[in-house]
Amino acid sequence: MAGEQLALTVLMGVLLVGIVALVSRYGDLRSYTPLAGGAGYGGETSHGHSEKPAGLIRWFTTVDHKDIGILYGLYGTIAFLWGGAAVMLMRVELAAPGFDVMQAQFYNSLLTSHGITMLFLFGTPIIAAFSNYFVPLLIGADDMAFPRINAIAFWLLPPAAVLIWAGFFTAPLTGNEIAPAQTSWTMYTPLSAEQVNPGVDLMLLGLHLSGVSATMGAINFIATIFTERSEKVNWANLDIFSWTILTQSALILFAFPLLGSALVMLLLDRNFGTAFFAVDGGSPILWQHLFWFFGHPEVYILVLPPMGLVSWILPKFAGRKLFGFKFVVYSTLAIGVLSFGVWAHHMFSTGIDPRIRASFMAVSLAIAIPSAVKTFNWITTLWNGKIRLTAPMLFCIGFISNFVIGGITGVFLAAIPVDLVLHDTYYVVGHFHYVVMGMIAFAGFGAIYYWYPIVTGKMYQRTLAKWHFWLSMVGTNITFFAFLLLGYLGMPRRYATYNFDAAIAPLAEVTSLHQIATVGAFILMIGQLIWLWNLVSSYYEGPTVEDGDPWNLKEDGMFGREFQWFEAQLARADGGEVEDEELVTDGGRIVNENLTAAVRRVADDDE
Amino acid sequence: MEQRADTDTGGGVETPKKMSPWPLFVAVGLAVAEVGIVMEGLYPVAVAGLLLFVGSVAGIVHEAGYVARPWKLLGALGALLVLAGVGVLYSQVGTDLLSALASDSVVVVRGYAILGAGVIAVFGGFAGRFVVDADPSVPE
Repeated sequence: MAGEQLALTVLMGVLLVGIVALVSRYGDLRSYTPLAGGAGYGGETSHGHSEKPAGLIRWFTTVDHKDIGILYGLYGTIAFLWGGAAVMLMRVELAAPGFDVMQAQFYNSLLTSHGITMLFLFGTPIIAAFSNYFVPLLIGADDMAFPRINAIAFWLLPPAAVLIWAGFFTAPLTGNEIAPAQTSWTMYTPLSAEQVNPGVDLMLLGLHLSGVSATMGAINFIATIFTERSEKVNWANLDIFSWTILTQSALILFAFPLLGSALVMLLLDRNFGTAFFAVDGGSPILWQHLFWFFGHPEVYILVLPPMGLVSWILPKFAGRKLFGFKFVVYSTLAIGVLSFGVWAHHMFSTGIDPRIRASFMAVSLAIAIPSAVKTFNWITTLWNGKIRLTAPMLFCIGFISNFVIGGITGVFLAAIPVDLVLHDTYYVVGHFHYVVMGMIAFAGFGAIYYWYPIVTGKMYQRTLAKWHFWLSMVGTNITFFAFLLLGYLGMPRRYATYNFDAAIAPLAEVTSLHQIATVGAFILMIGQLIWLWNLVSSYYEGPTVEDGDPWNLKEDGMFGREFQWFEAQLARADGGEVEDEELVTDGGRIVNENLTAAVRRVADDDE
Repeated sequence: MEQRADTDTGGGVETPKKMSPWPLFVAVGLAVAEVGIVMEGLYPVAVAGLLLFVGSVAGIVHEAGYVARPWKLLGALGALLVLAGVGVLYSQVGTDLLSALASDSVVVVRGYAILGAGVIAVFGGFAGRFVVDADPSVPE
């Protein structure tokens, strides 16, 4: 034991010395423009200096919002592939009733990993990818308000992922002594408090880091949108995507610290002998209250920005302005406020006071109203529009279609009597997968295709993109509609195996529906592989975008601020007068007068 | 990927500006510290993680121009760690802190790890202030 500690200490010493050596290689680090308002230390201008170091070092040290957006995107994609691989194994296991491919422990590990990965390591970061890259461009800002904090928020995520997935790597090395967590993403106590597996601690720590990251990012977005807008961007003409990011950031600010506190309490229960969630101490129900006070807003944290993306992209290909812009903003704010008053609808069956249940049912049903406002506004925007079915537009329309099913199944679940019957069945899983896959991922894909020319300077392969859409749309509906039916037949969620008494449910039908769902999942997977191939191959071989308006948005008067910025960038690359980067990272003064004017123009031109 | 050039060699000193080495280390330091404190038997990792974290925080705040030199901040963060470590020890053995030396409780060892990291950081702060800053060959 003492030898082990000594070895660890020496190893850490070497690591630290290496880091000091690495950092010292950068020489005089104080010559950059300091943060806005951060005194004049090291205040010599950045004029004439190179922008970024070359190669990998650039990506490890960047504080540019665009680079960080790309890093978030790559990270989210890797997490998406991991979560997708986990669920494909689970779907294969469920294609037949018995334990045919794996045992329950491994299934539970995959289930936990899939849920946490898709929500915290894919869902939240992929939204941050869009917001980091595009919010500063859309509001005419030089960069985020705190570029270095932006970078810290990103760099917390890779260690978080390593910790959350750690059990899968350490289990074979330690003979299953440190195994992947089997707590499900909700980590319900007392189960999660009493499992001795240190892999659970690692996962909780990783989750905690991801929460710290999200909170730092949110504070940064709030500060950026409030203080860094160009003078021509006011609250009335702030774009809809930035509105949803602002609302989302506010939700993160109130929700994620609660998750962090609850996780620390759980860690203390597991390692420091406290009794917050013990059956004979605090209460296991306390965990559910704390978790869902975070967990339900988390749903809207994940879905509001995709709604913003659709509200931004859909009008571009409908050739009309977003119908009822103001009411779409109001509904965003309404959802943000209401989201904190609905958490106990996850707990209808825990035996909480019926009066509390009833009030939570009322608020949960009320969220349908602002949601419907958005849906009808999108449909009305399409009405009489000049609709162009490009890949981004197809994903927007698919998003609305899936939202109708995902949203209405949610209204049913908000009703106590229905929830008591369908609670913890596949109906719930079907409902939230319509939202998570059918909406959040769909809006993400639409936005990736829409902004692909800006980020890569290339155009994607349109036929492959349409294949991707149709396989995703068909796969999503086959898989998750089968889930809804499975729920009606009483199939409980989180099970690796199933075998029903014929008096309770018909096993043959349940098996068939599981097989249909598995086939749907494979269709989905093929679609995503096409997507990946398309993005990577187009990045290397796609045609270079030479027109600042690749979507022909000008003719409908729909040319947004981010494409105006892109057009200015292209003009510059064509040998325009201005060659060096104009946007000073830390909000310092803009050196080049021409560019100052160009940046302002971009902001002015937009309505 | 980008349409613009990444470097501009048209005169002046070649120093990158849209970069900072610290964010990566702040993040890794926090992660390593959390793991070291919570996981049993990884206490040296806790010390290293905490030092990396407070060191990088002092570095990034200094780089951003909020403090003229990083050493006082490093010492102050170290003092906070000392307080936290003593707090953990106090929670286990009360005011008789010396008896903690004889304890083999894992929580006590965690307290010592935090305390130890704090002491090293405080010394680092003094060393920076009175050794590094006193050296005229080190640029301001």
